Amino acid sequence: MVTTFIIIFAIGVVAGVIGSILGLGGGIIIVPALTLIFDMPMRTAVAASTVSIIATSTGAAVAFLRDRLTNTRVAIWLEMGTATGALTGALVAALVNQRVLFILFGLLLAYSAYNMFRTRKEHSKSEVVPDAISRRLRLGGSYFDKALGHRVDYQVTRTLPGLIIMYFSGAAAGLLGIGAGIFKVPAMDQVMGMPFKASSATSNFMIGVTAASGAVVYFARGDVKPLVAGPVVLGVLLGAILGARLMLRMKAGKIRLFFMPILAYTALEMIYKGVKWW
Amino acid sequence: MVVGNDPEEKAVHPIELVLARLLRLGSLAAAALLAVGIAVMVLGQTELAPKLITAGLLVLLGTPVLRVVAAAIIFVKERDWHFALFSLVVLCAVAAGIYFGKRG
Repeated sequence: MVTTFIIIFAIGVVAGVIGSILGLGGGIIIVPALTLIFDMPMRTAVAASTVSIIATSTGAAVAFLRDRLTNTRVAIWLEMGTATGALTGALVAALVNQRVLFILFGLLLAYSAYNMFRTRKEHSKSEVVPDAISRRLRLGGSYFDKALGHRVDYQVTRTLPGLIIMYFSGAAAGLLGIGAGIFKVPAMDQVMGMPFKASSATSNFMIGVTAASGAVVYFARGDVKPLVAGPVVLGVLLGAILGARLMLRMKAGKIRLFFMPILAYTALEMIYKGVKWW
Repeated sequence: MVVGNDPEEKAVHPIELVLARLLRLGSLAAAALLAVGIAVMVLGQTELAPKLITAGLLVLLGTPVLRVVAAAIIFVKERDWHFALFSLVVLCAVAAGIYFGKRG
């Protein structure tokens, strides 16, 4: 039993480190690890993974907030989209064809992976001009980048398209149980013109709230098994705290380089899921 | 081009520090409950352990929701009505999600 705990704990640590650096929930690691290594039922794994998202978010956010990497104003603006989207997703889940959605969202992610790859050399975002809403709400921010050794001031633009994307990303989370951060980071980085590190930290901050309302469902159904979720979540908490410290010192370009293959992989996996069930 | 270079924006935003403190408290409390729960399990107290762990998971679950409540209170105090309203929208959506989720 102790060995099992240690392995589950270690999986959590790895997921926490990776999730906090990339602004993702870490479900991409936890779900396959628990189902493949321990042969656990999908529902137990997904439930543990959903609670872990909250752990990644909460554990890493402390360091990101202190270093002002998290843009709380952007986060609250966008959370309106994710929260209402998740609610809609949960309400209409029975009415929609999941296969079509998997393919649609998969294609969307594939496009954003392609877009991220195409713009990989364009480092400068200094020419971003804030739109009217962004100016009105003072969404721009600044943080001290420990990897660059200087302060980064940035502006935020296309706030309304960003909000709409967040609505659909929330709906995807509610409908398909995926996409904690994988839609959010590209939306902020590529659509709204935010620096990659600020996008990742802000995504990290936001995913906790969406996951919390999802986790309640799993708790109510009794899918959250304490002996599985306990060690995973403890590991994720520790991993997220470590990962956040690492991320603060990493170059944005390097983090993007890690993000792109995960984005491409998730896109392919989703398209495959949709096609397979046809 | 740098827009919005006014001093107000450069000022320290206490909201980050308040939220950071809240999230740290939540994660420490959850981690402590989980760690004790797992330790108790290893020691063979199979009845108490799941309860402690579940308590830890619930503390963790409540932390982000409390974070939105705290942000709403801060925005109201600062008379930042736009963001107070946004926080309220988020809270209502989360509350509705929890309500519908519990009903199955």
